[in-house]
Amino acid sequence: MKKLLAILCVLCLCLSAFAASAETVKATKAWKIALITMDSIDQHWVKLNEGAQAKATELGVEVTFMSPNTKDDAQQIECVNNAVAGGYNAIMVAANGPDAISSALKEAQAAGVKVVYVDSPANLPAEATFSTDNQAAGKTAGETMLAALTAAGVTEGSIGIVNVNAATDSTVKREAGFRSAFDGSKFTILETQYGEGDAAKSQTIAENYITQGVVGIFGANEGSTTGTGNAIKASGKAVIGVGFDKSDAILGLIKDGYLLATMAQNPDVMGAKGVEACVQALEGQTLGGAVTDTGVSVLTKDTIK
Amino acid sequence: MQTKRLNPVRRFFAIRGMASAMIAFAALIVIYVVFGLSNANVFSAANIQNLLRSMSKYLIIGIGQSYLLITGNIDLSIGSVVGMSAMISATLMTHGVNPLVAAMIALACCLVIGLINGLLVGKAQLPPFIATLGTMFVARGVGYMINGNRNTDAIASGIGAQAGDSFQNFLYYGKTLGVYNTFLVAVAVFIVFFFLLSKTRTGRHIYAIGSNVDAAKLSGVSVFVTTTKAYMVSAFCAFVVGLILCAQASMGNMEAGNMYEMYAVAAGVIGGISPLGGTGLLLGTFAGAAVWQTLENGLNMIGAQVGLQRIVIGVIVVFSVLLDVIVRRGTRKRSK
Repeated sequence: MKKLLAILCVLCLCLSAFAASAETVKATKAWKIALITMDSIDQHWVKLNEGAQAKATELGVEVTFMSPNTKDDAQQIECVNNAVAGGYNAIMVAANGPDAISSALKEAQAAGVKVVYVDSPANLPAEATFSTDNQAAGKTAGETMLAALTAAGVTEGSIGIVNVNAATDSTVKREAGFRSAFDGSKFTILETQYGEGDAAKSQTIAENYITQGVVGIFGANEGSTTGTGNAIKASGKAVIGVGFDKSDAILGLIKDGYLLATMAQNPDVMGAKGVEACVQALEGQTLGGAVTDTGVSVLTKDTIK
Repeated sequence: MQTKRLNPVRRFFAIRGMASAMIAFAALIVIYVVFGLSNANVFSAANIQNLLRSMSKYLIIGIGQSYLLITGNIDLSIGSVVGMSAMISATLMTHGVNPLVAAMIALACCLVIGLINGLLVGKAQLPPFIATLGTMFVARGVGYMINGNRNTDAIASGIGAQAGDSFQNFLYYGKTLGVYNTFLVAVAVFIVFFFLLSKTRTGRHIYAIGSNVDAAKLSGVSVFVTTTKAYMVSAFCAFVVGLILCAQASMGNMEAGNMYEMYAVAAGVIGGISPLGGTGLLLGTFAGAAVWQTLENGLNMIGAQVGLQRIVIGVIVVFSVLLDVIVRRGTRKRSK
């Protein structure tokens, strides 16, 4: 009898393991999940939310988009506090900076809330992370620009970088990756300028770079890229612009030939996988803080339909 | 004395600014209940705790701005001084300076900005809007430069994890007697400045130069000294909020306190502090800060769009000033 029981137990375990490996995620309750991105304006976050909402409907759980108005650490911390106080079971968060939000998330975990990172993790272990490998993607961006410059017969000159700010980990990594692509080349990369992800501020910065006579400009996020593209368009100069993220404005600038390429992330995948992970964690599964790269694709004039 | 014959309730409302403050409290209750009906968790003890902690920053800077509004001036540098305070104290702490010493150095720097504001507005007679617009940029610039145009690392990297944790708990994450320390700090600041404003000569001078600057001068009130004192109060309040933001984030953020000068005006104005000077009670600022935070918290919790949040908050600010104007007209008619 005992043997039979043991066999049954093993069978059950195998079955459940099989179920897990087949990734059939099921929610037994209408879990409440708060989605806190860096801001609620960039199309990147809007797409992430769309992916999350679609998955939530599929699984029968509730996802509330509770993001700060602008990229601001204090506001993002308040959003985390509000989610905990509002009785949410899990938080999907894109950390504005790795340090600032950690204490608030620790407080959330202490209150029994599950934390899953999407896009940008903080310095605190959580259930799982779904993000772009930003350094690798930044390097791809650099290589794309270098190839275009070489093809155009340009072998030296200066290159400008429009970044968001020095605290946003994801864009700082992209910049590092981008810079690394130029190691050993004759190009000089200028001091990074920060535009807070604001397209207008970024455009001014890019215009200044163009005045300085750069041969290429890199935009580290959506707003930076839009600003860069608009500045190149306004100047009418043959500056090579490479950026990050996908929006209608950026795709338009690429089609019209003002930007060479953009590194498109897959925010909808982050959103969907993030919701799945929240539900899995809430259903008692251990995800062990695994980091999943959701990848980028290089979009150019030829690859956009 | 006519007021002595009035019953206690009417005497209470006869205090200048009390009616507006009470209206703000009433509005607070209405807003709170409306949000509670859409999400039951709004009424939970955890959320009340959360609200009190979050509103503390608006209450403290609101007090600072209220002092200036009552004198008939404005302080646009408050938000930048918040950032400066956070950056200076955090930068020092990442270099291993004792938190208390770091805070004192930050305080001294903030008070310098307050003093400059006082000199520019009180002595040089610059329009306060322009003078503090200038110091707003200067203070933000100092905040940027203090750590070489970078946000600081975690404070624990300099003063150690234990001291870092106790600094964070003391100002943000810890509780005393079941209440978040942040709120207790705010209440302490409130009590001190409430007494300064309502029970001391300085307080009376602040109201006096706000109601009628010439009359105040004639009766021997030094406009320079009083204005400077008010700017020092707002700089002090901004310093405290900067420390709180530093404790909250465990680091200094160059953009800390961005736009806070405007939130501070809103908190004061919603609470019935007249932007024209001379009237208003800090009790109103308390209600105003609570209204502001309850709105932010509630709209965030129901996942309202950013656009909608801004519209609601904007309408409420305008509406409360409108109400103030109507109330003033009403009392003027009655007193005729």
